[in-house]
Parts: sequence; structure tokens; C-alpha cells
Amino acid sequence: MIARRRLSTGVRALLALLLTCLAGFPLFWIINTAMTPTTDLFQGQQRLVPDISRTLDVFSVLTTDTPFLGWMANSAVVAFGTTLLSLVMATMAAYALSRYKFVGKGPMGFLFFATQMLPEALLVVPLYSLFAALGLLNQLSGLVLVNTAFAMPVALFILKSAIDNVPYELEESARVDGCSPLSILQVMVVPLVAPSMAAAAVITFFDGWNEYLFATTFIRDRSSWVGSTGLASFIGEFSTPLDTVFSAALVFTIPAIIFFLLMQRKIVSGLTAGSVKG
Amino acid sequence: MTVTTSARTQRATRRRRFSWTPYLFIGLAVLYLLLFAVVPLLKGLDLSFTNTRLLNPTAGKYIGFDNYDHLLGSGAFFKSVVTTLVYTAFTVVGSLALGTVSAFVINRFFPGRILARAVMVMPWAVPTVAVVLVFRWIYNDSTGVANAATAALGLGERGWLTDPSYGMLSVVLATVWKVTPFVMLVVLAALQSVPEDLYEATKIDGADSYSTFKLVVLPFLLPTLRVVALLMTIWSFRRFEIIWLLTGGGPVDVTTTIVIDVYRQAFNNSQLGLAAATGMLGLLLSLIVTAVYFVVEQRANKQNGVNA
Amino acid sequence: MPTIEFDQVSKNFAGNTVIKGFDATVADKEFLVLLGPSGCGKSTMLRMIAGLTDISSGELRFDGVAVNDLEPKKRNIAFVFQSYALYPHMSVRANIGFPLVMDNFKWWHHIPLVGGFARRALMKRGDIAGEIDQVAEMLELTDYLDRRPKALSGGQRQRVAVARSLIREPALYLLDEPLSNLDAKLRTQMRAEISALHDRVQKSFVYVTHDQVEAMTMGTRIIVLNDGVVQQYGTPKEIYDRPANTFVARFIGSPPMNLVPVTFTDRGADMFGNTLSFAPPETLGEQAMQLGIRAEKVRVHAAGQDDGQAGYPAQIVTVENLGAETVVGFKFGSEPHDFEVGARASRDLFYAKLVGDVRLEHGQMCTVSFDPGDVLWYSTESGELFDSTQMASS
Repeated sequence: MIARRRLSTGVRALLALLLTCLAGFPLFWIINTAMTPTTDLFQGQQRLVPDISRTLDVFSVLTTDTPFLGWMANSAVVAFGTTLLSLVMATMAAYALSRYKFVGKGPMGFLFFATQMLPEALLVVPLYSLFAALGLLNQLSGLVLVNTAFAMPVALFILKSAIDNVPYELEESARVDGCSPLSILQVMVVPLVAPSMAAAAVITFFDGWNEYLFATTFIRDRSSWVGSTGLASFIGEFSTPLDTVFSAALVFTIPAIIFFLLMQRKIVSGLTAGSVKG
Repeated sequence: MTVTTSARTQRATRRRRFSWTPYLFIGLAVLYLLLFAVVPLLKGLDLSFTNTRLLNPTAGKYIGFDNYDHLLGSGAFFKSVVTTLVYTAFTVVGSLALGTVSAFVINRFFPGRILARAVMVMPWAVPTVAVVLVFRWIYNDSTGVANAATAALGLGERGWLTDPSYGMLSVVLATVWKVTPFVMLVVLAALQSVPEDLYEATKIDGADSYSTFKLVVLPFLLPTLRVVALLMTIWSFRRFEIIWLLTGGGPVDVTTTIVIDVYRQAFNNSQLGLAAATGMLGLLLSLIVTAVYFVVEQRANKQNGVNA
Repeated sequence: MPTIEFDQVSKNFAGNTVIKGFDATVADKEFLVLLGPSGCGKSTMLRMIAGLTDISSGELRFDGVAVNDLEPKKRNIAFVFQSYALYPHMSVRANIGFPLVMDNFKWWHHIPLVGGFARRALMKRGDIAGEIDQVAEMLELTDYLDRRPKALSGGQRQRVAVARSLIREPALYLLDEPLSNLDAKLRTQMRAEISALHDRVQKSFVYVTHDQVEAMTMGTRIIVLNDGVVQQYGTPKEIYDRPANTFVARFIGSPPMNLVPVTFTDRGADMFGNTLSFAPPETLGEQAMQLGIRAEKVRVHAAGQDDGQAGYPAQIVTVENLGAETVVGFKFGSEPHDFEVGARASRDLFYAKLVGDVRLEHGQMCTVSFDPGDVLWYSTESGELFDSTQMASS
């Protein structure tokens, strides 16, 4: 029995090693490529060990020769804006869907779900003309608005099932103690679904940070570009050295990974509380 | 005890009061989606009945169902439908299988588990554009590590992104790599919600690990897997960036899914009307799949005697 | 403070009537217990008093003023939930102080973020902090004020819930099965504490429970509910001594009151083939009735050792020795039977509660007797008590 368990632990560890290598390799390859001189890269002489001593050189080239850091700052504005706006609206809407019965609840719930089906490529043209009319083209705030439309429903689903699990008696007790519905939401519900809020925050943050299609069609000024459009502009051009391009990719990836790892524990528990099931 | 006449009672009878509160809470989000999703959608629908062109967008004329007639009569559209279905099938099956296996591996202790989990979920956090960049480099014909590996194994070299027989595979592999962690996290969450006493009960009843899986784990897992499959499917239908930036729909259109088709018609051929019609048909496909899902789900619930 | 009047209060939920035309007037400072089996509507009743559930029809009045549409906060009540509903993310101090803090909220304190600062400031205010300390001291919670509810034992949590209800000095305390999550010993202790609390604060209490011991020991008035219908309203003694119908008779008392079928023939009242030495003052034309007798009023003697009074032959089926008393289960009949252990054997048993340790054994034949004065008569058809005084007046 113990021998069998040891064996299965061994198999598990081996499988985990394999999966970890598969998942980790492209990441490792970004680092490795960023640390290899461009001349070596194009001669097919990329070694398997990154030359870490090049780190500082590579990043100083990135900061001085390209406006990439500025684009990242724009990405940060878009991502945080999307997160904030999505969470505020999603929390309130999720609370209404979880706790109240009202006329039109079904259609409204379907509306939130249906946006998950809408292809961005279909909406990009009508949204372009809408944003032109609203004067929101070339503006980061425009990107926040459009990203929120796609990110907010996901946050809503996570939060709704989390709020479903908050004991209703807590809210009734707060009502007896004199809380208004808005106070109940702030004082009782939000602190109690904090892990799910974190999970929703990470997911909406990624939406804002990664988004490319709307960013590339709505933002024309090079200075207003975001990280994703800036990075994509390197694809297929040869004036920027490849190691610099990959260092940009690395720098663009690191904040997302750090943000994610910091929240990882909360994401798993947040997804458990707001488990996607049913 | 006081007994009073029923006339009083009749007067005191009150309807349940109508409350604005839920509408105040949900209103902002609903209006928001109406403005930024429903209005553009209706505008897209309107556009799909016109021959509007990108260069002169105000000169479009209503042409009825001509766009739809054209699409349904063209082989190219059906090819993009098939491409979409193939891409969706492979990414959904691949990510679900890999994600579920990963979740089972990670769910139990082994040395280095925390590190392994951190690495295994990281692809989810990598921005799509960075994913594309590194996979293009890996797939590179002359200097890519994919070819270096196949050559070293004696399998020869391939045009991963240039050979039409490998284009779809390459795109699917990159997509699966990127989306698997989401499946893994959700399945992991579902696994952790299986009550510990259920495991213990089956252990006391002398069940082997296969029946434990079948009787305890699977019932908890299946609803989750079904929802994840649905989400993965409708997300695959509309996934644009990773395909567009990896292959642009090529080589020779083998990765031209419906949304790539929409984008190319709009921005490369500047036919906004036709693009909108294509998008609408794509949306219809998503709706059909979703409807099928809900029918299947309801039937499954009925079978299990669950009133959902 | 308030007299609570229920005037045909009803509750319909999804087409079902949960509470049917509830009528009662409860005087100030009473300890009213709503007693009934689970699902009888007693919690719904309490929640309607609190304003947490809408009243479908009828009127609820505090001191003659209808409160149907009054927000819970405006009713000047405190509510102790079955699960205590302690706020898990707040310290004990913040939990206890919360109602006071909310009392001092201005409208603009409900704005996001502002509220957080306002709450923190109010918690530090001298009078509020003082009252928290005072209530905590009274309930021996001073040492735990900075803990989270999760770090407390069941009894301590219960006291925090009580402290939170005490702090605002409401006119009406509503308690929903507050002791059901405690172990037996703690329950006895808390029972006494809550009774003492009622004496001290001199306010009205409404207490929901399915536990008749709690109802009998704590209540000054009891309402027995079943299926949303009031079965009886009275003092504990009235309800115990004169259950208004067979439901109350069976529900109150452990073991429940014996209800023995009696038929009337030419020869007199017949009980399992024995002719009774007495009969109801009036049979009201009914062919059969049920004879109600409390178990402690029943005497049992081993066969052949009767005390000279008229007795009825029976066989002992169960003997439960509780130390100070013994509960004997028996069946009427002069022929001995083999009773197997199990559900079949314990069905249709009658009980006697005897003082001390009694030398009776399972299967033994015996004689059962009781005084006619201890007997109540119930209609077989309606289950209602035949009240001789009522019959006289009607």
C-alpha cells in the first residue's frame, strides 16, 4: 500500500515536471531570447542558458531607444481603469441579481451572459463610429470604457456566486441594526467576498492589460499606444533588435505575472466560493 | 385574544411594495451594456443589410439580404465556418484535457508542488501579444527552437507557420498553452469543493480509486466541466488576437476563422456591410451552441432529478 | 414599552399560506414564546414582527400603531438570530457597537468610503466606547473584545449576539431559537441568563423555539403554533394543565399527555373493554371521545397489589429509569402479549411517570388507575378540549 502510494506520488511528480516544463518553456524562452545578442539569434545560435549579465544593457536599450515604458504606463492606466469600473458596476449588479427578485431579472441576466458571445471583431466597426461621435477615439478613457463592457460580465458571474454564499442572516441583522442597502453592500458584502473580488480584479485587470484589437483600431497616436499595440508593432519589423523586442515582451509580462502570483491564493479560493459551476 | 371583524382586515391588506432598490443596483451595469454592447450590435445588424464601404462609410445603401445571400452561397464562408469549428474543437478538447489532468496532478501533495503550480498557471498571465511573439520565434522556419527540436529527433523541419498542413496545429498549440491554466484553476476549485467526508465514506465502504473517482469526484466535476466547456467554446468562436497576430488567417487561409474573416473583410477589403453580415452569422452559430448546451444541461438535470 | 397586537396577520408565500389569520394581543414586558414544531411558521411570525418579512394581509400594531410598512430599524427592536449572524470580519467590539454606530449615522455617512471613516470615528467616541465596555462587562466579554467571532466558543458567540441586541436598549427583543446551537449544559445556563436578562431590562421579549422546556421555563406567555395556525395562547401553566386541543396535549409535556379512545355504550363509557367508573359531564351526542391524562397523574401497580381503588388491567412494555423518576410505557388489556422491541411495540403506548425507582419489569402485567378529577375530555372529531366552563357559557 505504502509502496503503491510512493509510486503514485512519483508518477505524479514526473507528470508535474513534464507539465511544468511545457507551461514554463515559452516563458523561459522569452527570457532567454531577451538575453541573447541579436546577431547570435539570427545565426541560430541561441543557447539554452540565458546570459544574465546582459540584463542591464538590454533594459537600458529598451528604455532609451523605444517609448515602451510610456506605452506600459498607458496600459497600466487602461488596466486599472477597467478593473475599477468593472468591479464597481459588477458588484452592485451581482448583488441585485443575487439578493432581489424583480421584473426583468431574467432578461438582464441573459444580457450579461450574452456579451460573452459577442465577437469583438464584429463590434469594432460600430463601436468605432460610436466612439468617434463621443470624441473618445485616441483616448485611454475610451479603451477603459470598451474593455469594461467585455470584462464586467465575467466579474459579475464570479461575484454573484460568491454573494450567493454569504449568509443572508448577516444582511438581515445589518438591516435591523439600521444599514441602508448601500451600506449593507459596503460594510457586509464586499468585505466578505474579498477573495472573489480579488479573483475578479485579476481577471478584469488582464482584460485591460492584454487587449489589443480595440487598442490598435481606436488609438492612432503613437504616444498614446498601450503595451500590447506597442509590442505588436515590433512583429514583422526589423529595425528594433530582436533581443530588445523580447525584453519589451518580458517587461510587459512581468507586472501581470507578479500581480497574478500575489493574488493566486485568493483566486483559487475566490473561484471556489464563486465556483463557475451552475 | 382579540378577534376583529374581517372588514378591517380587508382594508389592511397590502400588496407587496414595489422597490426601486434592485434597479438602482443593476441599472448602471445594464445601461452600460446597452450602450456599449447592444447598441453597437444593433448598428452592426443594420450595417449587415447595407453595402457600406470603409472608405466612404456614409454612402452605404440598403441592399436587403444580399450580403447574407452572397455569404451563404459562397464556399469561402463555409470554409471559415469549418475552420472555426475545427479550431474550437481542438482548443476546447485540448485545454479541457490538459487543464483537468493538471488540476488532478496539482491537487495532491508532491515535492515542489507550490512551484509547479505557480509555473503551470503563469501562461494565463502572459499577455497575448507576448505569447504571439514568443511562439512566432519558436515556430520560426530557420532559427526556431521547434524545428531545432524536431530536427534533433530526426523528424525533419517544418514550416510551422508557413506550411498549410501545420498552420492550424501551430495556432491550436499556442492557444491551448495560453488558456489551459484557466481550466486548471476552475477544475482545481471544483476539486477542492468536494467534501472530505465523501472521500472518507467511500474509503470506509472499501471503494477502489477508480470507483471513488467515478462516484465522488466526477459528480462534483461534471457540472463545472460542462460550464467551462461552454465558456471555452464561445470564447474560441470569438478569439481573434492570437490567431490574427500569429498567422493573419494564413497560411493560405487555413486559420481564417469567422472573426478573422470579419476583420479582413472590414479592414483589408473595406467591405463593412459584408463583414457585419459575416459577424452576425458567427454570432448566430454561438447562440445555437449555447442553446444546445442549455438543452443538454436541462436534460442532464432532469435525469439526475435536480430542479435547477 | 409596546403592546403587540396581531390582527388577522397572514402570510402567503408562493401560493401557500404560511400563517393563517393570526390574532393575539401581548401586553408590555411579557416574555412571549412562540412554540411549535419546525415548519409551523413561528420563525416567519417573528420575522414579520421584525419587519424582515412582509405581512401579506392583516395588521400588526405596536401600542395601537400599525407598523406593517415600518423599516426594521424604525421598529426599535433587536433581533438575535439562530446562527447569531455575527459579522465575521469585525472584532467583537465592532460587532457589539455596530447598532449604536448605525444609530448615529447621518444620511451622508452611507456614501461609499465616507462610511468607513465615520464608523471608525464613531467607535472611538467616548459614549459609544463606554457603552460597549459596560455591556461587555455585564456579559463577561471584556477579555474577548478584540477577537474575531471565529475565535470564540459557541457560548461566547451567543453572548456577543445578546450583547449586540442589548446595547441599543430597544423596546422589543426578538430571539429566534438562540440556544439551539449550544450543548445541553450550556443551554440550561443560558436559559437562566436570558430569563434574568428579561427581569433586569424590563422590556418585551418574543422568543421562538421548538423546545417545550425553554418555553415552559422562560415564557410568561406562550403561543403554540401548528401549520401557521394558533393552537393555544396562554400562560405556561394554562397550556400545560389545560391543553386546548389534542395537538397541544401531545406537543407539550414529556412524555406527552395520554389520549385514550373512549366509546359510549348503553353500559357507560368503555375504554379498551373496561367500563369507566366515571363519564364526561356531557357527551354532546358524540359516540366517542378521547380521555386525556398527564403521565404523572397515572398510577401503576404490579398486578394483585392494587391500592384498593378502581384500576384497569394493562401490560408493561417499556421501563425507563431516569433516576428521580421512572417512565413506564404500557398497553391496556388483561391478556399478556409478546411485544417485540421496535417501532411496532412502541406504537400506541400509554405512559405513566412515577416517582423514584419502581420495581416494574418489561412484560409484567399491572393495574393502572387515575383520579377522575385529573381527566380532560377531547373531541375525537375536532380534537378540541371539552371545557365544562365554556360549555356552560355557550
